[in-house]
Amino acid sequence: MRLWWLRMRVMTAKELLQLSRDPVLLIILAWFFTADIYIAGSGISMDLRHASLAVLDRDRSEASRELIQRFRPPYFEYQGELSSGRQGIRRLDRGTSMLVLEIPPHFERDLEAGRSTAVQLQVDTTNTVLGTLATGYAARIVARYGEDRVLDRLGVTDQQLAAMPRIEARQRVWYNPNQVDPWFMSISELMTVITMLSLMLPAAAAVREKERGTIEQLAVSPLTPFQILFPKVIAMTLAILAGTAVALFLILFPVFHVPLKGSLSLFFAVTALYVLAVSGLGLFIASISRNLGQVSMLVIVVLMPMLLLSGAWTPPEAMPALLRHLMVISPLYWFIELGYGILLKGAGLAVLWDSVIGLSLLGAAIFGFGVMRFRRQFG
Amino acid sequence: MPLLQITGFHKRYRRQVAVERVDLSVGRGEIFGLIGPDGAGKSSLMKAAAGVLSYEGGLIEAFGVPLDSETNAERVKDRIGFMPQGLGLNLYPDLSVEENIDFLARLREVAPADLARRKRRLLAMTRLERFRGRAMKHLSGGMKQKLGLVCTLIHQPELVILDEPTTGVDPLSRRDFWAILTDLLRDRGITALVSTAYLDEASRFHRLALLHQGQVLDQGTPEEIVSRVPGRLLSFRTSQPGEALRRLQGRYRQLDYDGHRIRVFVTATGEAAALDELRRHLGDLPVRQLEAGEPGLEDVFVALLRGRGDADREGVPRLPVNGRSHRGGEDEVLIEASGLCRDFGDFRAVDRVGFRVRRGEIFGLLGANGAGKTTVIKMLTGILRPTAGSGRVAGADMRRAAGAIRQRIGYMSQSFSLYRDLTALENIRLYGGIYGLGPGLLQERIDWVLEMAGIRGHESDRTAALPMGLRQRLALGCALVHRPQVLFLDEPTSGVDPLGRRRFWSILTHLAREQGVAILITTHYMSEAEHCDHLALMHAGRLVADKTPDALRRELQQEVGELLELQLDHPLEALERLEGQFKGVTLHGNRIHLFAPSLSAAEPVIRRLLADTGVELRSLRTRVPGMEDVFVYRMGLLEREAA
Repeated sequence: MRLWWLRMRVMTAKELLQLSRDPVLLIILAWFFTADIYIAGSGISMDLRHASLAVLDRDRSEASRELIQRFRPPYFEYQGELSSGRQGIRRLDRGTSMLVLEIPPHFERDLEAGRSTAVQLQVDTTNTVLGTLATGYAARIVARYGEDRVLDRLGVTDQQLAAMPRIEARQRVWYNPNQVDPWFMSISELMTVITMLSLMLPAAAAVREKERGTIEQLAVSPLTPFQILFPKVIAMTLAILAGTAVALFLILFPVFHVPLKGSLSLFFAVTALYVLAVSGLGLFIASISRNLGQVSMLVIVVLMPMLLLSGAWTPPEAMPALLRHLMVISPLYWFIELGYGILLKGAGLAVLWDSVIGLSLLGAAIFGFGVMRFRRQFG
Repeated sequence: MPLLQITGFHKRYRRQVAVERVDLSVGRGEIFGLIGPDGAGKSSLMKAAAGVLSYEGGLIEAFGVPLDSETNAERVKDRIGFMPQGLGLNLYPDLSVEENIDFLARLREVAPADLARRKRRLLAMTRLERFRGRAMKHLSGGMKQKLGLVCTLIHQPELVILDEPTTGVDPLSRRDFWAILTDLLRDRGITALVSTAYLDEASRFHRLALLHQGQVLDQGTPEEIVSRVPGRLLSFRTSQPGEALRRLQGRYRQLDYDGHRIRVFVTATGEAAALDELRRHLGDLPVRQLEAGEPGLEDVFVALLRGRGDADREGVPRLPVNGRSHRGGEDEVLIEASGLCRDFGDFRAVDRVGFRVRRGEIFGLLGANGAGKTTVIKMLTGILRPTAGSGRVAGADMRRAAGAIRQRIGYMSQSFSLYRDLTALENIRLYGGIYGLGPGLLQERIDWVLEMAGIRGHESDRTAALPMGLRQRLALGCALVHRPQVLFLDEPTSGVDPLGRRRFWSILTHLAREQGVAILITTHYMSEAEHCDHLALMHAGRLVADKTPDALRRELQQEVGELLELQLDHPLEALERLEGQFKGVTLHGNRIHLFAPSLSAAEPVIRRLLADTGVELRSLRTRVPGMEDVFVYRMGLLEREAA
């Protein structure tokens, strides 16, 4: 037993020492846990910002100008007037404008005369999210303008308006009251980074031993495959937890003001569990690769479906039924449930116990498989 | 005008100087050798000469064209054939033998008629005809190298540049290789620049340069180089080797003891003077079987290195003695294999291999890459499960008690298996921890390893920065940190310079003789085989012969006779005539080796054969056959049996 601990200890110390001597790996760790998360948190936004708008105003009246003015920054950016419809299409094709608004001739006259009229909005929805948002916002602006014109024409005063039976939809937004995107994005990116590094680091450490031939030396020593592999996972888990702490205390809390509703130690415990589970997958990758290049490519192959099936990009409910069932085997799915639960919702073990069990079972299965695969290579 | 003229050549990789101020010239029709250990700068020099590597200083001229720009290099590339280092690196593993040749021929724009003719001839010479359709990756190491040579020669270059063509190739294929070069030299007057890490191949060259750490130590014909370091190699047996070594240690820097004989290089002119000197120093010690011999090129290389002051102060490192007495009897068998087989799919990598190694014995396993040596070691160390057969290592059954075996053995592979990003001390500590040494014992063992390997002063250096020889001894130290009874060494000396190899061997001898460690070692260097107590050759998964070096040599002499060496002024013209009359006729520069029943019987025959050719026989003498001669003969027999 004493021997067992001694071996685990010297092997773990060795891995940490090797990690600390690898400047490239250290730079990669530092980059992912700081700059990368910062970029994701501040750069990627689901908001409509500065959507470029070009207008073909065939009416050139007070009414048309007022409508155009309602497309305001920061949502829209007015790019100026077009001279022809063809120019509008060209701008859309080239991607220099995102929206082209066309106001028909006699727009004002029709409105004055009480006749219905229509405006045309052409939207580039190559990016579906932004396209949908822009269309929605624009539709609301036009509808509001129409409503104002109607009320104006009816001569309804504000007091009369208040007396009218109107239903107001009052939203109460939980967990992220101001709907701040950086909260969601930075946490999501942190989890992606943790996933990628837990796949990559133990796999790289294991395959490096293969490349340099040191694995043979270990294989003829009294170490069991578990004693060879597990210290790598421990060392890399420690490194990733340290990185996670850096990301939380240097970026997420101070820069993006992400609230910490739940228990920090629970979050770290869950993260450790998750890293262990995923690194088993990494060891499996290392067992079928001969060099670092193959490891990197296989990590991408494994990482992409894990991300897609995790619910990080699409909520599970929006997935087709088959994929929704497959999500159960993506450890990232469990981790996201747990991570958001602890950080934003303040959930404790009482609420999250089923996800913890799910992650543990999956983790044990994956890790066991990874070690078994590696063991088989030595006959 | 020499074909290849190199003046003041200088090559750097970033700040690392690879080659410094090298001058040499290769004349038409010459086989010129570059000899030196890994990292001596051979490859850089050869790549630059082939016009595929730029360089910082000096000038290389081939066929009178200066290779100082891409454009100029392109002008002569048609006339140069270059084979890079590494088994079959210039070939495509998935293409067949014929496809490889055709592809490279088309690349060189060889006319179809020429291609067909040359292909037929070259395939016949290399005995590769039967394997035309086989994918290159399924060829043996020697066959790959021969195919590489065919592809290099297919456009009939006037100058071939071959970078370590014989490394990792079995002795028989190596002979084939030299025979092909000899034929080309004879028929087409080809010129060759060939590098090798094997000093025993030096006699094959007309002229050669000894490279060490980017510099030329010496160059000239083998005779010239040997004659520049006058002296005799003396060897003897004695009942008091320790005392003899003590008396000689301060006086002679080249001193070896393999457990049987002491060898010493005495710098004196003439045999009698050398013998006198040695007897004087030994005084009253009883000496048996005192013999004097010509120094080999390796002795000269070592002497040159020592002369430069690079070498260690002591010839034989003083080893701290382990305070452990042996358990068990002197002839306890520590490694035993019987009927070992291992299949990989349809392929039988190891076929019914059996041998025994006793306490304190050094057993050598020789053979080419892919002969199955490493697989045998992997089975005995428990990494690989045998398909059939059994084995016992250090008293434990290989199949059932792999765990117990691992605690009792040491293992070192050719990659030296050290963590390069850790320091020397950290590596020792790591292995100490793995083998479960407590703090007190660990410190004692660290001291022992540092002393044995001579690493004091380098403890905190990163392993990657250590020179090859030190790294090798550190790896050995790590393998010995737990005092194993059995030591497995898989090509532990590849790439290490001769000095480092000698020092390594003296440690091994000490381990075996003084501490009773049973050692199984594999090597490519036939000269190292002499140090083994008994040795066996592996060929295509099978074990051939398992005897002492002397017994193997005697057997060869009984079966084919004495090895004679003829020195001639025009050896090429004599070659064919001699081949008709004698066995084992091979060309070595301007000398010819052949086997004959005895010198006295052969001499008149040789003189008669050469009488009307006008070739002058300058000298004729017997040579002691080397292990390589033994194995080439043995393997030749095997191949004939198989055919």
